[in-house]
Amino acid sequence: MMRFLSVFTRTTVSAAALTAALAAGTALAAGPTKDDLLGDTKSTGDVLTYGMGYQGQRYSPLKALTPDTVSKLVPVWSFSFGGEKQRGQEAQPLVVDGVMYVTGSYSRLYAVDARTGHKLWQYDHRLPDGIMPCCDVINRGAAVYGDKVYFGTLDARLVALNKDTGKVIWSKKTAEYKDGYSMTAAPLIVDGKIITGNSGGEFGIVGMVEARDAETGELLWQRPTIEGNKGTLGGKESTVTGVVNASWPGDMWKTGGGATWLGGTYDPETNLLYFGTGNPAPWNSHLRPGDNLYTSSTLAIDPNTGEIKWHYQTTPHDGWDFDGVNELVSFDLRMDGKVIKAGAKADRNGFFYVLDRTNGQLINASPFVSKITWAKSIDLKTGRPVYNDDNRPGAPTEGGEGKGKSVFSAPAFLGAKNWMPMAYNPDTELFYVPANEWGMDIWNEPITYKKGAAYLGAGFTIKPLYDDYIGALRAIDPKTGKIAWEYKNPAPLWGGVLTTAGNLVFTGTPEGFLKAFDAKTGKEVWKFQTGSGVVGCPITWEMDGEQYVAVVSGWGGAVPLWGGDVAKLVKDINQGGSLWVFKLPKA
Amino acid sequence: MRAAVLACGLWLAVTPALAASSIPEDPLGSVMWETLYPEVFGTAPVVADDRVKVLAPADVENARAMPVAVDATALDGVQEIVIVADLNPFPVVLRYEPLKARPFIATRIKIQQATAVRAAARTRDGVWHMNGRLVDAAGGGCAAPPASYAASDWADHLGEVQARVWPADAAGTARVKLRIRHPQDTGLMAGVPAFFIDALTLTAADGTPVARLSPLEPVSEDPVFTLALDAPVPGSVLTLKGRDNNGGDIAASIPVPVKTAATGTVGVTP
Repeated sequence: MMRFLSVFTRTTVSAAALTAALAAGTALAAGPTKDDLLGDTKSTGDVLTYGMGYQGQRYSPLKALTPDTVSKLVPVWSFSFGGEKQRGQEAQPLVVDGVMYVTGSYSRLYAVDARTGHKLWQYDHRLPDGIMPCCDVINRGAAVYGDKVYFGTLDARLVALNKDTGKVIWSKKTAEYKDGYSMTAAPLIVDGKIITGNSGGEFGIVGMVEARDAETGELLWQRPTIEGNKGTLGGKESTVTGVVNASWPGDMWKTGGGATWLGGTYDPETNLLYFGTGNPAPWNSHLRPGDNLYTSSTLAIDPNTGEIKWHYQTTPHDGWDFDGVNELVSFDLRMDGKVIKAGAKADRNGFFYVLDRTNGQLINASPFVSKITWAKSIDLKTGRPVYNDDNRPGAPTEGGEGKGKSVFSAPAFLGAKNWMPMAYNPDTELFYVPANEWGMDIWNEPITYKKGAAYLGAGFTIKPLYDDYIGALRAIDPKTGKIAWEYKNPAPLWGGVLTTAGNLVFTGTPEGFLKAFDAKTGKEVWKFQTGSGVVGCPITWEMDGEQYVAVVSGWGGAVPLWGGDVAKLVKDINQGGSLWVFKLPKA
Repeated sequence: MRAAVLACGLWLAVTPALAASSIPEDPLGSVMWETLYPEVFGTAPVVADDRVKVLAPADVENARAMPVAVDATALDGVQEIVIVADLNPFPVVLRYEPLKARPFIATRIKIQQATAVRAAARTRDGVWHMNGRLVDAAGGGCAAPPASYAASDWADHLGEVQARVWPADAAGTARVKLRIRHPQDTGLMAGVPAFFIDALTLTAADGTPVARLSPLEPVSEDPVFTLALDAPVPGSVLTLKGRDNNGGDIAASIPVPVKTAATGTVGVTP
């Protein structure tokens, strides 16, 4: 009897404690509105969007942390993603009403109390055995709107969950994972629409931008990125993308690639979505003479109709996997007494582009890495690269039997800058770009398209350019293209950048450090070892009058899988999977 | 350690009045009853009632799929049926609202170890009528991988439905049987998250919901449910809609046979 009593007692008390906790806690908030999302850049108490604001500047007006005070920054808590599943953690967390929403590898989503690190709920998506992520089982973050939190999964589904309970509200199949599709980017929510890109550019898929009703998940419009493919609007066919066969031969456009695997940014001032598009498929460019629109481009898209308003192609007829998917960051370019609505993009091909974001006209393009072999320059009049024709990997030999002429090309296909987002600081008027210095031997091989199989037609191996570093965090002046300062890192940089009004720049390293730099001088002013490589995106926000910083830690991504000689350099980095949160100790 | 002892003392001090008085007697004498009662029934009255028949084997041959049938047709006005396997890591197996159907359900469930298996039917007055039995089992059913994982194509058949409605019997009851392809993962197997069907609704041709099921982790892989309907319109089509905890949709149309000849009766006759 005594034993019975104690069992019962414990249960009753814990149930009572739970009830009390629920009553004492904040009432379940309605969640962010359209206006909240629009104001994310300026609001310091939350982080509601991937990019810390629609324009993707990753800039916070917070000033408590400065090059002087940051040296005292210490961890508040660390949260483990758990399980046996680790691999790359590339997410940017969100902070909403004191709750952090963060995604982990293998399509997992966590809600964590931002003050204590206590887990509120966790959603583990059940993945089929046959998923085909090209470049690790990563996810880049969630989106939040109203009572829902959203993320994409490796089996190409878009899932909406109740932000307070973690229960699935709806789940939509966006594409067939068996054909090579997946979804790794953070969704973008604009005016009640959830807008997503797709992944799978190595499998001959067709890139797509899609908008759904954020409430119901109902498809509103689709815009394929490859010319010749038809879009939809309101459930009906809309317009054809581009003009059939204008820049693609035969029916190659049906499997033309151009995946929008990084999602996009939005600019409320021009009411345009900016989506980067990936490499054309296959990699062997001799099979597809022409510019291959709209691969390796930035597309400006009307969020209401899905129509392309302008495009700028950074690598026409890409033959090096210079996938132009990199984010376009909107900013005010102050030049000659004028303010130009500009956008900047640090492309995988090694050039830093500044465009007029109202019409896609090129303003400036300059190299942001030390060695570019494929082009001499970008012609500012035509906006096109001046190619070095002999640096294009050769066609497979006559009859298509053997591999074509191999060339050494820089940057490597993993890019002068890959997925990891840069930051722009309107106070210093500098961009902070996580760059990598590497080249590759690349050659073409015969290939034919087979559904669901890798569609490359190329062989390659990556090589470092220098003995002492690969990664380089570079501060770039968009007015001149000049590099104001740089920080060199031995391993390739693979994490996002954050900058603040406190004159700081934060980024992580594969060696495991989250580091802070003086935004004006580049002097390293703080670092913390997180226990595994940092390839996520740091954020900062204010809570209870204090400035917090957070980043996920967990080594992985494309480098250990595709990095050739470089993969050997990083093979001893241990895996992980955790969320770290920092603040200054109370005085 | 000191803190733990203090905490225990506190619990004992807080609760003596509650224990004995508010918990109904358990006819099965299960060690879990005092824990499960508030979790499953809250504070509602529960009475032992032989009119609820629970059919389950004395010895469980297959711990991954033990058949269980609950027949509460001897009661009037049953609103909900709950099935519980006390010593499973997830004791509640499913909840069933018969709506326009007869209060009868049969399915297959996982059994982790020898346990009391109980079912209760809630009548309109809010009283739960409960019965059950002890089943002996070698166990392990909740932590074993689904058989379908031996093949790589399980995801191809996810959510596929086989279903049949039999012609109504003399009492105007038509049996319907549903089988849905789903691994029904409990989340206890390393590296495999919980993944199971958590909502099913059967709707008549006129749009009226006739039966609503809320299955949970212990329902077996490729779940099979047998329900007893008030004779649906011959030649009409029933609709099954549901989803799993990942938001995966389940949908099927189930034709009702035109033939109305009786082919037996539905119910448990132990």
